[in-house]
Amino acid sequence: MDRREFLKLGATLSAAFGILNLPKPVIAALKKIEPQSIPKLIYLQGQSCSGCSVSLLQAASPSPLTLITNYSQLAFHTDLSAVSGKKALDLIEKYISGKAGDYYLAVEGAIPAKMPEACVIGDKVFGQYLEAAASTMIGAVAVGSCASDGGIPAAEGNLTGAISLRQYYKQLNINKLIINLRGCSVHPDWVWQTIINIVKVGLPELTDQGSPALFYSRKVHEQCPRYHDFQQEIFATKLGEGGCLFKLGCLGPDTAADCPNRWWNLSQSWCIAANAPCIGCAWPNFARKKDFPFYRLSEQKKPIERS
Amino acid sequence: MKVSLGPITRIEGHLNIETTVEKNKIVDARCKGEMFRGFEVFLQGRDPLDAQQITQRICGVCPYAHAIASSYAQESTYNLNVPPNGRIMHNLIQGANHLYDYLLQFYQLAALDFIDVTAILQYKGKDADLLTVKNWVQAELASGKSYPAAPFLPRLSGKYIKDKDLNIGALKHYIEAMEIQKKANAAAAIFGGKFPHSTSIFPGGCTQNARIDLIASYQSLIHEVRDFYHNKYIPDVLAVAKAFPEYWEIGASKGGFLSFGLLPVTSEPNSERVFSSGALLNGDISPVNFELITEDVKHSLYSSPSGLKVKDSTLTPSPHKSGAYSWIKAPRYQGQMVEVGSAARILVDYHQGHNPKVKKLVDTFAGQVGIKPSKINSVLGRYLSRAICGAVIADFLLDETERLDTKGPTIADIKIPASGEGFGATEASRGALLHYIRIKNYKIERYECVVPTTWNASPRDDNNQPGAMESALIGTHVQDPEDQIEAVRIVHSFDPCIACAVH
Repeated sequence: MDRREFLKLGATLSAAFGILNLPKPVIAALKKIEPQSIPKLIYLQGQSCSGCSVSLLQAASPSPLTLITNYSQLAFHTDLSAVSGKKALDLIEKYISGKAGDYYLAVEGAIPAKMPEACVIGDKVFGQYLEAAASTMIGAVAVGSCASDGGIPAAEGNLTGAISLRQYYKQLNINKLIINLRGCSVHPDWVWQTIINIVKVGLPELTDQGSPALFYSRKVHEQCPRYHDFQQEIFATKLGEGGCLFKLGCLGPDTAADCPNRWWNLSQSWCIAANAPCIGCAWPNFARKKDFPFYRLSEQKKPIERS
Repeated sequence: MKVSLGPITRIEGHLNIETTVEKNKIVDARCKGEMFRGFEVFLQGRDPLDAQQITQRICGVCPYAHAIASSYAQESTYNLNVPPNGRIMHNLIQGANHLYDYLLQFYQLAALDFIDVTAILQYKGKDADLLTVKNWVQAELASGKSYPAAPFLPRLSGKYIKDKDLNIGALKHYIEAMEIQKKANAAAAIFGGKFPHSTSIFPGGCTQNARIDLIASYQSLIHEVRDFYHNKYIPDVLAVAKAFPEYWEIGASKGGFLSFGLLPVTSEPNSERVFSSGALLNGDISPVNFELITEDVKHSLYSSPSGLKVKDSTLTPSPHKSGAYSWIKAPRYQGQMVEVGSAARILVDYHQGHNPKVKKLVDTFAGQVGIKPSKINSVLGRYLSRAICGAVIADFLLDETERLDTKGPTIADIKIPASGEGFGATEASRGALLHYIRIKNYKIERYECVVPTTWNASPRDDNNQPGAMESALIGTHVQDPEDQIEAVRIVHSFDPCIACAVH
């Protein structure tokens, strides 16, 4: 980039971010964002509730609009794209066949491995898009617990054989980069900050579950502000009480996520701050087993075997 | 000629519409829900208190509605005495969710049907947001990349608003609405724990405390949302209506209207609600009776019996079933096709003369735009209805916060019986929502949901009566038979959610 281009870019970004007075090293770092290199996302939904998409729109700062203009580009998204129908299918096809340039595949929702017709887009089953994209995409981002682990559609007794993106590609012997961003719904920061990391620094450090360590390396329990209550054995015995929620069934000890530090929804709240036990929505086995309910209402109930 | 309009975008989920067009007129339309998960199957055998968590995942746009309907059904089953605070908190959470949803629907989902996004290139003012977008669009168009300015371009061919100031104003509000909807959800999350998917909603109330600092934060956020509604959103709806007056005559559904009522004013079972429930069929209103709801599956991908009542409902998926075209069942009320949603909710309440605030707003706006209240059954009528519902809800929520008792309990003592059953009904943003739970041996034996878009996007029933959206599409003139922007505008006015419809 030459000096004139840099100044033009700097001015645009300054207007977008209000960063006129940042220290010189930071301004220098911004040189790294080349408009042409902003990741283009082809965002496809499988067996999804769209909660993760809605969650992405709850990003605090940078704003969702800034995120989809300056840090990434949503080449296609069911909820936001202006175009629909055949023109939309042509757009998706052009990217997936490799004719529209580099892109990342973002997948929200599970894949119905035992019943392909349980998810159709246009005239193809969902799996066909995933298979075709594997050979042209830079990598994939599994947005939310459904795409990362199967999620609620994969609950015990489901009829569609719902599985995660990783499991689906493994079945096809496809070995491409997949970043798993768990959460039901995923926290907007976990997705957007991963993308920002990719744009400005490179691939983030991943845990052995394939998730960015920045958000997913420590359990909720280890970071919980009620850890003191746990230590002092100040336990809530009924729903609605404060104190440690462990005896009501809180899955903080099993669940790796930084909710206690990040909070949710413009930092107004998070589950445990509302006296609501963690239900393990970012845990790989979230909601999987019928005989492992979310709550224990009384101490007399037998502890359940955790699989 | 046959033209498939799917994948429909700027809705929730997997929707295709197969149209048959002759001489620029839609003579047939088939709404196809194209994604299935089967909640009613995998809920069986689970602990009942899992239900209001699991059913929220039917939909990440309106999860709170499912949590509330499930909570009502469980409250009825367990015979809970809900403390007033518990019911108020349910209302505060659910009401705030409606406020975000209507904004998201009008701006992020629907606005691009009407607003000319390229008008930003003519902007000559100093607003930082608009300049940023202008520069971005210019840079995109000059970049030579495939699909510049995606996802806002490309778009369907059609007539968009020509007035430059109206376009620019609406684009500015699109950007602002993206910020304001977050605040509505932040308010809901103060009591709900987080959005999407609340963890603090339970049968019998909420786990959060009725603390004065939480109440004050909630009120402040809702005030901001309310101001946006009155100063920007409602004027924008009226401006779009003025620019496209023909859409008062386009998109009418050809059946009745159903509402289950929204926001109970006391914590008694069967309490009066801010918006009353009712079935409006052939111009006559009657109280809702869940026993009159049946679900046909002749054209739906299930081999289970057709015409079952909710309590007896079952499903066996049959992905290759001949003659079937949708994963959505065909619910009917007394055998009749009905529309649900904000327009239905307004018409039912207005017809009963129930809420004077509803009547006043309908009469005022109908007067302003020069229509009869019956024209609410139209593309524009649905957008106007959402705005009216939001205005009424915003004021109610601010009053509700004053009724919280900062010293009182917020949740009932929950004791789950060995067996029992119950219905829970509410109005999600998109309309009438019903949950039914039956418990045996302390576990869920049966769980059934009839969801708003199940009604609206329903396929034909066993008597080949089209669903509400199908009936609204049939007979529509389309200028371009390939793009059919007129049809897409009709679909968007219903605000469909296919994840909900199929569940």
